[in-house]
Order: sequence, then C-alpha cells, then structure tokens
Amino acid sequence: MKVGLFIPCYVNQLYPQVAIATLELLEKLNVDVYYPQGQTCCGQPLGNSGYEDDSKGACKLFVENFKQYDYIVGPSGSCIYHIKHHFDILEQTPEVQKVRNNAYELCEFLVKVLGKTDLGASFPHKVGLHKSCHGLRGLKLGSCSEVKGEHYSTEEDLLNKVKGLELMSLNRKDECCGFGGTFAVFEEAISTKMGKDRVQDHLDSDVEVLTGADHSCLMHLEGLINRNKQPLKVMHIAEILNSSL
Amino acid sequence: MNGTKNEIKMGREAILQSIKENKPDLLPMPTVNVEAFAEDLNILEVFKNNIALVGGNIKQIEKKAIDTEVKTIYSKAKRIVSTSSKTALGTVKISIDTDPHELEDIDLAIVEGEFGVSENGAIWVTAENSIVRALPFITNDLVIILEKDKLYLHMHQAYDIISQRNRSFGVFISGPSKTADIEQCLVVGAHGAMSLTVLLV
Amino acid sequence: MNHATKAKEFNKDESKVNWHDKALWYVREKRDKSAHSIQGWEYLRELGSAIKANVLSNLDEYLVEFESNAQKNGIHVHWASNAEEHNNIVNSILEKHNAKRVVKSKSMLTEECHLNPFLEKKGIEVIDTDLGERIVQLAEEPPSHIVLPAIHKTKEQVDELFQEHLGTKPSQGNPEYLVSEARKHLRDKFLKADVAITGVNFAVADTGGFVVCTNEGNADMGVHLSKVHIACMGIEKIIPKEKHLGVFLRLLARSATGQPITTYSSHFNKPEEGKEMHIVIVDNGRTEQLSREDFRASLHCIRCGACMNTCPIYRRSGGHSYDYTIPGPIGSILSPGKDLKKHSSLPFASTLCGSCSNVCPVKINIHEQLYKWRQVIVKEEKQPVVKKSILKVAGIILAKPSLYGFAGKSARFALKHLPKFMIYNKLNAWGKARDLPEIKNENFDEWYKKRNKNG
Repeated sequence: MKVGLFIPCYVNQLYPQVAIATLELLEKLNVDVYYPQGQTCCGQPLGNSGYEDDSKGACKLFVENFKQYDYIVGPSGSCIYHIKHHFDILEQTPEVQKVRNNAYELCEFLVKVLGKTDLGASFPHKVGLHKSCHGLRGLKLGSCSEVKGEHYSTEEDLLNKVKGLELMSLNRKDECCGFGGTFAVFEEAISTKMGKDRVQDHLDSDVEVLTGADHSCLMHLEGLINRNKQPLKVMHIAEILNSSL
Repeated sequence: MNGTKNEIKMGREAILQSIKENKPDLLPMPTVNVEAFAEDLNILEVFKNNIALVGGNIKQIEKKAIDTEVKTIYSKAKRIVSTSSKTALGTVKISIDTDPHELEDIDLAIVEGEFGVSENGAIWVTAENSIVRALPFITNDLVIILEKDKLYLHMHQAYDIISQRNRSFGVFISGPSKTADIEQCLVVGAHGAMSLTVLLV
Repeated sequence: MNHATKAKEFNKDESKVNWHDKALWYVREKRDKSAHSIQGWEYLRELGSAIKANVLSNLDEYLVEFESNAQKNGIHVHWASNAEEHNNIVNSILEKHNAKRVVKSKSMLTEECHLNPFLEKKGIEVIDTDLGERIVQLAEEPPSHIVLPAIHKTKEQVDELFQEHLGTKPSQGNPEYLVSEARKHLRDKFLKADVAITGVNFAVADTGGFVVCTNEGNADMGVHLSKVHIACMGIEKIIPKEKHLGVFLRLLARSATGQPITTYSSHFNKPEEGKEMHIVIVDNGRTEQLSREDFRASLHCIRCGACMNTCPIYRRSGGHSYDYTIPGPIGSILSPGKDLKKHSSLPFASTLCGSCSNVCPVKINIHEQLYKWRQVIVKEEKQPVVKKSILKVAGIILAKPSLYGFAGKSARFALKHLPKFMIYNKLNAWGKARDLPEIKNENFDEWYKKRNKNG
C-alpha cells in the first residue's frame, strides 16, 4: 500500500509542524508514505470563491502528482472534501476517478483504512474538539447534531484513546467557526463574531487545548485567541496524536 | 372585466406552457411505507402527553360526567354553544344560517372531535361538528369531546380515516391558539380559543 | 448595499447579535428534539424530497388536475404569470365585492408580490393578522424571518410600537399584556373585514383542496368571518395526493418551531354556504427557476424557516441583511434567480457549512446550490477588480509548482519581516480582529528536503 502525503498549501507554508506531525504519525504506523514534490493546492479557495474554472490547472496538477498512489492522505478535511466533491469539473478519466475515490482525511484514513484508534499517544490535557464542517457534514467524519441517528465521531474515537487526554463537552457541538475561506475576509464582521463565539464555548467548557482536523478553521480561531490573549492553546489533531510524554 | 378575463387566461396558458418546456423528465412518485413509522407505544398516554405539551388540558371521564366537569372548569361561562348531543349545557342555539359575527361574545363552545392523533395531540374537527365554521376559533374557550377509542398513532393513519369524507372544511386542532411572536415568549390565547379542554369519554 | 455591509451594521450592537443568535438557536434545538423524537424522521425527509421532485417533473398536469377538482367544488381559480397580474386579480375580486377592508394571514407570496402597498394605494385597508407580521407592519418594516417575522424586535420595542399605534399602556414589554391587546385590536379588524386573504401551505391535486397552517388561528378567524376568501399560492405548492399531507404536516411544524404540528391545520375544500372562495396560482419567476437544472430543487421549499434558524450567519446578521423577501440560506439560492445583479452577494454570505441542507425537511442541497451560484455569479456579474485579479493570478500560480514555491516563499518572507503596521492596516480585513499566523523559518517542503538529505 503506497500512500501519497498531501500537504495543503497553507499548511506547507504556515504550519510545517502539522505536516511534520502527520508524516511522523504515518511513519510510526509503518505506512509506506511518500511526499510527492511539486504539490501546490487542491483548488478549493478558487472554487469556493466562484472561480472554479480558473482552478482546473491546480486540480489537474493535483491528479498528476497523486495518480500513482493507492491512497492520498491529508491533514485537512475541507481540501479532501473539495477533491472528492468538486473535481467533477475535470474530465472523469480513470486517473481522476482513482484520485477522487482514494483521497482520505487523516483521521478517516487512520480509523477506516488502517482500522486503528489507539496510536499510543499521550497528552494529559483538557481538549476541546472543533468539528470542522467540511469534514463533519461533507466527509461525514461524525454524526451531525441536525441528523437523527447513532452518535459517532472519527476524531473522538482517536482522541478518546489518547492517554491522559480529557475530551471536554461543548455547548454547541458542531457549529461552524466562521472561517469559510474568502468569507473570512469578505464577511469579516460575521466571520470574526462566529469565531469569537466558538472560542468562548471552548473557554466556557474549561478547555485548555483546542484541536481539530482542519487547520484552516484553527488558523482563524488561533488568530482571534492570540489577538485577544485568551488562555487557549491551538493544535492540529495530528500533533496531539503524534505526541508522547 | 373582459380585459381581466383575457389576461387571466393568458396567465394560465403561459404558465402551463412554460412548465412543459422547463420541467425535467418524469420522476417517480414514491410510495409511502407506513410500516417505517410503526412504534410500539401507548397511544392513549402519548396523546395525553402531547395535549399537555401543546398547551391543552385533557380529562378522561365518564360520558355522564361531562356537564359537571365542564361546569367545574368553566364556572363563569354564560354564553355557551354546544353542538354535541352529549351535553345539555348549551345556552345559545346556532344553525348553519347563523351569522358568525353573532358568535363574537361566546364564552364557551363545546364540539365533538372525530378522532385524535397521538403523535401530535391534534383532533380532527369538521364543518359538520362546528355547524358554523367560525365557532371553534371565535369562542373564548373550547371544549372538544372525543371518544377514547378514536385515537390513532400518526398522521398517515389520520388521512386514511378521512379519505372518504365529504370534503368541505375540516381542521386539525392541536391545543389552544398561541403565539411566540414577541421575543419567542410563548403566550397562549392569540386570536383563536384562549384555552382548550379535551374530554376523553 | 451588499450582505456584508448590512451584516457589519447589525454587528455594531453585539449584545443584540447575541440575543438574536440565542433566540434562533433555541428554536433550532427545539427542532432537533422534536424531529428526533419520532420514528422514521430521516425517511420522512426523503419522502418529502421525492414527492416534491415528482411534483416538479409533472407540475403542469398536477396544476390542471387541481384546478379542475377545485372548480368542481365551487372554488374560483385564477392564474397569474407575475406579481402585477397577481395583484390585479386580487384587486378585481375586491372591486367586484366593493371590499374596502382586508385581513391577511401570513403569505410570503403576497409579500413577494408587494400586494399590500398596491392595495393601499387604491384606498384599501390591508391588515396583517399574524401577530409578528402585524408588528412589522406597524413598524413599516418587512418581515425578517418567514416564520418569526418580528424576531429582530425586542419586547420593549414592541411595547413602544403598540403604545404608539394601539394606544396601549407602558408594560415594560410584558408579552401577555401585549398579546391580549393585539387580540382585541385584531378581533375588531376580523369582525369588520370584507375579504380575507391567506397563503397556501399545500394545495392538493387529487382533491382540489388546500391547507393553511397557523398557530394563532388568524387565518381561520379571517376566512370564516369574511364573505370572500382569496388564497394565493405559488405553483410549487402543489402536492399530488391528500395522503401526502401526512408526510408534509409531520415535517413542517417540527422543522419550523419544534412543535409536533401547528395549532390549526385547516383544510379548505368548499366555500361555506353563501360565500366565495378564490385561488390565485402564481408563477412570478418560478418556471424560470424550474428551467435551471442545478437550482430547480430550491422549489421543493415548504417555507419552514429551519435553514434560517440553523444558519450561523443568519443568526448573527439578521433577516434584513439579506434584503430579499425570503432571507437566509434558502433566500440566498432563490434570490439570484430573480435578480442576479441585486442579490449577487447572497450566495457568498455563507461558509458552506452545510447545516441548512441537514435540517431541510425536503432535503434541498442548499449549500451545494450556494457553491454553484457562486460559479454563475463570477461569470455573469462584474467582480471587484482586486478580488478577481488575485484569484485569477492564484489560479495560474497554483497550476505551476515553480511559481508557487516562489510565491509562498516571498509571502512568508513578507509576513515575517514587514513591520507590523504594514501588515495590520485597513486593507487587511483578516488582521482587524485576528492575528496572522506566526511565521516559521522554513516551510514543510524545505524541512522535508533537508531531512531526506540528512537521513
């Protein structure tokens, strides 16, 4: 099983520690993982802004970079969602279809493909999980509060197995943080208000470390937390799963 | 008026033509599998709970106790319209020719419901039950007499029951009239009846 | 004014935003509790969606069937291609009866057609009788929500409005008192009305009847006290069979307010002896929306308002920020079809979180349609030069790894080394309330190359 590591553009540039944690975690689990050079972006920021047509070059490059792998794994639910749901703008060649079918968000890959939840991590802190919308409602990484059915959560399954970690319960379990790509800039007032409210929910719930499987949401929330000097640390779930005492 | 009529006709043909041109290929009408909604629960108890939930009172009593019960609950009611033969409390007689405006100061209306729906506390009341359609709405308070064996689990069964009726007017009533339009505060007694008592007999 | 500007305005009073958000979130929670308590909820939604899809694919036949059955029952049926025709038809009926006083229960369609101002200009008194609608009518505002029209008003504001218009005593916003005064005021209007106008929740093809749902009883008070009942409906309100009401009445109130059913679900099939009943069937842009494959399903909407209650943007920007008859997520996919230019900011007033699609009782893929409208708008509407050029250039850079490597490096270099005042300036909307990420010395590419060399 050959796995291509997909590091989203903003993670590569701004959060190399998240990419490193993802890579180390996969290697620790003996996954045959490769990091194809020449990666840029899945095209999501363009698509969500209405410039889907201009993103075709980026999408084609993505397929080119990853077509040879059995699985494509990335630490960002929204990017994976974009590949799975919006690469319909490309001609559906067998290669495009293969890439779309085999793209996995990291947690989903760990739990569904590798069948592992206990990764031997240790992280003795009170953790609040931000369930990013594209991962939750798009990739169905967990049950959504709107939908009737059994409760499940891929990220919770993983976090619950981390030694010493206490997963805190939030008042609003899966409300959007307000990032939304260019929404964060063009609807600045609402975006920051939504983020502020999310942060407050974590503070009210005694959370020490806010985590999630999509660092774009975390970038937005961390920006607010740092600006307001609030006592919350922000870490990607890969960093927690890769941590040991 | 001629001009208007022509215009109306054009509207009709134009709309239907436009639909024909723009509608997708025929999609199947789904069959409703009512089995999927089956629930093993106490229909009577759920019905009672739901009447309370929607702001109504419910009493299960003997038929002969109706008058006493109503007099106890609505002791001040003077102008009472009853369309039910199960009670003798009516003080104001009405017929299908009664002008509904004359019912403006009715204190209490007593009508019979055809059947109740357990899942939502709704009771089916027809134009025949009310004699004058405005009655259950314009009255200050409302009593619905309902036979306790006429309860059904859900709305799918309800529509089976009424499928063969004489269709003129009918209403599912679930509780007294209410509004939450001022700051989401629930206030019972908007335009319709201020209270609803269901007497299960 | 676009949505962002209006939303920013609304957000100037944060405590009001918090209050608005909480009030609607409370309704959303009631919806969850109520919907999830019944057996087969998700199946019901699937049925609702499939029945509506069938309706749209056979709409002309169902409308004709409905018309013929309604006429057999003595109901007059009228057809209007647009708002103007609709208003003229209503007016012609009023003229025929020399009606001067009209009571109207909730109808988003008449709101859409701007019927009230049209009739008022002709000297006709039109009173909205739903309490929330009466409140916004007195305030001379449009409704800000389709189910809770005055959700943006505090009880103190209602108190003041009633003092001014109904002569009530100051009550510090006592809801019981205010409702009892409104009851008196509107009862008088009901008793004096010549004609009652209502909306239609569902029109049934196989019986020619229709259903109107209210909690207050205002539709029935109006209809049963007036000589003439005019019911106005969009063409998409049709359902094939009466038994399908079982599906839709179970979905509607639970989705809207969390009630198991509205207080009154009134089934009109024949006019009362000596009275008249009219139905006006209106297109007003709906067949055009029917023609758009990607957006057709927006016509499934049964106007429950659940997507508004759940929308984190709607809750924090208020209904008026959408500047359209139907606000919120559903309004944002309906309105571009009516006027792409005017409403082009609405599909962008979303994070595409998808909660709207999850609560929708007829499973409209709202967030996917928002995404699709964005693609249409960018092509057909003039875009801000800066936004356009940035994204076009990004498209080119992201397709070329070498350009991307260079751009990433220079951007990180700039962020790390530029003085703070140059980064956090007025042009940087990100930095107004948020810090930028701390810039590390190397990106992952560089780290990876280094590690492989060393390893």
